[in-house]
Amino acid sequence: MKRLFPFVLLALLLAPAARASERHPSLAELEGEVMCPVCETTLDQSSSPAAQQIKRVITNRIAAGDTKTQIKDRLVAEYGDAILAAPPHKGFGLLAWWLPVVGILIAAVVVGIGARRWARAREPTPVGPPLDPALEQRLDDELRRFEG
Amino acid sequence: MAKPARLAAQGLAVALVVGLLALLVWRVANDNGKGVAQALEDGAHPTAPAFDLPRLDGRGRIDLASLRGKKPIVLDFWASWCVPCIHESKRLEVARKEYGDRVAFIGVDTKDFSSDARQWQKKHGITYPSVHDGSGSVLTKWGGLPIPRIFFVARSGKVVGELIVEEDLPRYLQQIAAS
Repeated sequence: MKRLFPFVLLALLLAPAARASERHPSLAELEGEVMCPVCETTLDQSSSPAAQQIKRVITNRIAAGDTKTQIKDRLVAEYGDAILAAPPHKGFGLLAWWLPVVGILIAAVVVGIGARRWARAREPTPVGPPLDPALEQRLDDELRRFEG
Repeated sequence: MAKPARLAAQGLAVALVVGLLALLVWRVANDNGKGVAQALEDGAHPTAPAFDLPRLDGRGRIDLASLRGKKPIVLDFWASWCVPCIHESKRLEVARKEYGDRVAFIGVDTKDFSSDARQWQKKHGITYPSVHDGSGSVLTKWGGLPIPRIFFVARSGKVVGELIVEEDLPRYLQQIAAS
């Protein structure tokens, strides 16, 4: 439980900021989350007339008090899902969200199994039967004499 | 790893690869390249790709296929953010008055905000009906950006040409009106 504490704390600290961003979005943050329909980049990287048009619409909707979700829904209704930089959390879009997670999990399992096998392979193989005590004593004596 | 587990893992890996390959084949098979515009450039006269989209003025929908065999069509892809579209749409408006009911003029407002598009039509006096293709999926089938793009469809439903130079407009209009 103690291990989870920093994550819970972080989530609690970030929650009000996320709520504020949802209620009072800024043009700058939405520019990074919305695509320019004619240039295949996000709005913040485009100054094309089509991008300028969407920026103007977003500015107007922010001034009208729309939430981030309402603004995004309005854009999706006009341009389709492809107007959002991130895929939607539904239908085929779910695949884009979960496939990397599943891939990482599979990779972690494969690496874990591989590491376990490698560690096993490195364990010292047991040597033959112990030496005869007399022979071992003689070997020690010989070595001592050789070093001395 | 136990033999059944290893077999299952291998089967899963093969299934994954086959799935990804199938996805790739499907994508290539459904890729229209540059669509109608490319076909015309290659000397072909393809059948106009059908669409059924809502009208900008809110008066129902326009189903292009329903006009096949009934009327020749001029199809104008435009958007309110497209400056050159103003000139071309105004020329089409003049032609529409000249040809009356003999040719159907249809605008396709693409990758655009529909309220801006309606204001744009009003501002520039464009009266022929337009449909809203917000995602640009219909435009992609016809050749994609840039716009304006104007196509001429004979009564039979075959696309006879695309407006490239100014003189193409009277030439193709006469051709499709006689079809």
